Amino acid sequence: MSYAEQMARLTARKIEQTRAKQDRLGARDEDDYGLVLPPESFTADLPVRDATGQFSGPRAWAANFRWLMEHHPLYIDPDDALAGRWMFMLSRMRLGYQLSRSGKDAHFAPDYQIGLDLGWGGLLEKVRAARLKFRAGGVLAAEDAAYAIELMDAEEQAILGVQAWIRRLGEAAADRTMTEEDPVRRANLAEMARICLKLVDQPPETLREVVQWIAIFNMASRTYNRDGAGGQLDELLRPYYERDLAAGRITDADAEFYCFCLLLNDPHYYQIGGPAADGTDQTSRMSFIILEAANKLKSSCNLTIRVWDGMDRALYRRGVEILLANRLGFPRFSGDKALVEGFMKNGYSAELARRRIAVGCNWMSLPGLEYTLNDVVKINIAKVFEVAFAESNSWEELEANYRKHFAAAVKVTAEGIDFHLDHQYLNEPELMLNLLSHGPIEKGKDVSHGGAMYYNMAIDGAGLAVVADSFGALEQRVMDEKALAFDEVKAAVAANFEGEEGARVRALLDSAGRYGAGGTRADAWAVKLTEILNGEIAGHTTPHGFKLIPGWFTWADTIRFGKSVGATPNGRKAGEPISHGANPLPGFRKDGALTAMATAIASVQPGYGNTAPWQLEVDIGLADDEGAVDKLMALMDGHFALGGTLVNINVVDADKILAAHKDPSKYPDLVVRVTGFTAYFNSLSPTFRELVVKRLIREAV
Amino acid sequence: MGIVFDIKRGGVKDGPGIRTSVFLKGCPLRCIWCHNPESQAPEIQWAVTTDEVCGREMSVEEVMAEVLRDAVFYRTSGGGVTFTGGEPMFQFEFLKALCAAARAAGVHVAVDTSGQAPWEQFAELVPLVDLFLYDLKCMDSERHARFTGVSNDLILENLRRLDAAGAKFWIRCPLVPGLNDSDSDLAAIRAFADTLHHMEKLEICPYHPLGLEKCTKFGLAPRYAEKAQPTTADLTRWRSALAK
Ligand code: SF4
Repeated sequence: MSYAEQMARLTARKIEQTRAKQDRLGARDEDDYGLVLPPESFTADLPVRDATGQFSGPRAWAANFRWLMEHHPLYIDPDDALAGRWMFMLSRMRLGYQLSRSGKDAHFAPDYQIGLDLGWGGLLEKVRAARLKFRAGGVLAAEDAAYAIELMDAEEQAILGVQAWIRRLGEAAADRTMTEEDPVRRANLAEMARICLKLVDQPPETLREVVQWIAIFNMASRTYNRDGAGGQLDELLRPYYERDLAAGRITDADAEFYCFCLLLNDPHYYQIGGPAADGTDQTSRMSFIILEAANKLKSSCNLTIRVWDGMDRALYRRGVEILLANRLGFPRFSGDKALVEGFMKNGYSAELARRRIAVGCNWMSLPGLEYTLNDVVKINIAKVFEVAFAESNSWEELEANYRKHFAAAVKVTAEGIDFHLDHQYLNEPELMLNLLSHGPIEKGKDVSHGGAMYYNMAIDGAGLAVVADSFGALEQRVMDEKALAFDEVKAAVAANFEGEEGARVRALLDSAGRYGAGGTRADAWAVKLTEILNGEIAGHTTPHGFKLIPGWFTWADTIRFGKSVGATPNGRKAGEPISHGANPLPGFRKDGALTAMATAIASVQPGYGNTAPWQLEVDIGLADDEGAVDKLMALMDGHFALGGTLVNINVVDADKILAAHKDPSKYPDLVVRVTGFTAYFNSLSPTFRELVVKRLIREAV
Repeated sequence: MGIVFDIKRGGVKDGPGIRTSVFLKGCPLRCIWCHNPESQAPEIQWAVTTDEVCGREMSVEEVMAEVLRDAVFYRTSGGGVTFTGGEPMFQFEFLKALCAAARAAGVHVAVDTSGQAPWEQFAELVPLVDLFLYDLKCMDSERHARFTGVSNDLILENLRRLDAAGAKFWIRCPLVPGLNDSDSDLAAIRAFADTLHHMEKLEICPYHPLGLEKCTKFGLAPRYAEKAQPTTADLTRWRSALAK
């Protein structure tokens, strides 16, 4: 039996699981994750809930999590190098779950190395030792010490739950060896069992062990509250790989298969390549092995290649080749220069800035050091504009009103962040991520409440193109050309462009120069809106003194945000989606020039270390062009040289998308990059699919 | 000042790397298959079915401002600007000024030409142009005249002289199934190409029927109404016949 056959079977099973999820859970506008369905018979009788189904606080979370891990259905695949799959999200078993908004999921990255060095047994000892210290007193004020002790109790329970689950996985794998007839699989199961039983307590020592350890942490953390941030995967694995290789324990094919299984287990966000803290290139043989494993995966994957001047261009080139050949939306490419220079503007060193890596759909994080609420806090500037426009009686008043309302929006948002930081430790402590952060256990403080080393709270603006085009269309048609009167536009917008008069006004506004075309009024407004964003956020803090960092990013919220905004003077009708991230609106130029898009998006980078990604959908024609790899690299190189921070590319076969749109079940394996993440096309909601399809068709014409 | 009817950015087909194509209005030829029929007349034209306008007066500075927007991508891709048309030589003084300005800005310059212009003008351009994209439509002079309205004598003569002057060029063959793509047509092109010293590439530009729609839009009478595109078999045959 070869790895190729094993991989093929694993991939086939993954596709089956995706289809089953689609059937049972319906459409979901988010990552695929690695989740599989629990058996139908399984019911989660969480021990701690109040009458409303709610639970909160370290003790409740820990008890419920421990229960869930102790009863977690076991998933063993004799073809897989790794044991286990995750099936639940405890955070979604609470009432009223919502992904983004204060009090919800925090996006930041763990430092796996802490766990890899200590193992679960070592983590348990660390937590117990810390608790002794807090019990002995003198370290913390009485109230803080009480919480610290409760938190350590909770961490202990959480670890015990994970350990119980790993032990059960090991036992289940061992049991399966009794019935497995194929000798290769039997040996694989035996090794899986040995590794799990070892990892209950001990730290991993070989590559396969380390990959299993990471997978276990990922699954446990997913089960706890979704998480999803990975790390600098090549550097995490390299020492183990090199040691195994030197000892003759593994070949590159083994290493590739283990990585394949890790990526299959869960599409966490990992970065490969890029500069080390000291400015040397981190690209290694391991980086290429991971990339080739992802290539063979042919399934949802969130690998990012960090592009920088001193890099091994072969990794970059290979990444682009894979992106074009597989058309699965990965790898993504992150622009080191602007990110590092930008983050340093917040007062951090170059060394630290280089360690801040791409580990989320749009976002960056310092593994184990930083708490950020990345991609959680958004200001819908289309809404801000709507309010300002309604209040303005002339063009002259509009900008001042926009500025006033935007400042107000930032103020309440910053207060909301403080509110989150004040209460989240009581609401939903980060029991899993605390363990792999530097500080929470040592200080007895949740990572959301003083445990982390750095607090760089993200605020992203959303709806840039809608607002830039609205300002631009008004300035061009009302002020420059006097083709429309301000009041006339106001009336038409208020009436949602209904009627003949509305249609006439709309046609004029809609055909004004757009953001992205280059040199238009709207282009200038997009830059100005970025200055306004920075003016209120960059270098500012929340009222409680936490640093804020601006970005432009909308995630999957373009539809939801759009619903709450009436018609806008760019010709957009009430309730239609707002624009995506920093992207110009479709139709921004007749030639749809990618260079124009790249230039525009580079021009609106806030530039403080968070991203404003370029979301690019190219149809198959471009990917098939002679020299497509070179051209795409040149395009990205140019974008990064101009200050770009992140490029997500979807290579889409327009016919396939159309067919999948008609009957999603036909293409269960069709992966598209929707915003910053890859998702199965068939698990997107119809509205969302519609949006992807529309954009593609317009761009293809 | 000159009349420009389009500026397209981010192109990857007209010369090396990522390019901006500047379309100059006016053409001395009347190719029956013309894909840009609205570009032939030198003056600004209005569409009849929409409110589109073909052509607008622009200064060298205005054109260059557009061209320079993508300067960074020319650098990363080895691209530049391509002046095309119509026939860009038709507005010779404007073209010369544009080439000089692009050259001064350090931008790689390509001129996409039918070759139908006085040699003296080509001679003046040679020092300002990095690459000529030179059309060869048909080696048979009589049929050339039938398809395009002019014989190919001057065109072939200019190409020989450009070659002798050491100018770099790519030959591009707009091929239309059944018109200029017989085996002997292709062999003649190949044989001629083999006599040249500075040709860098021999390319095929397959016929596409987009010109038809534009005829309707601008109220022009189409002279070649084929709606079908060349087949894959056509393309394969063309490629192998033109290969060395
Ligand atoms: S040379 Fe080009 S523009 Fe001129 S008529 Fe022929 S195809 Fe049309």
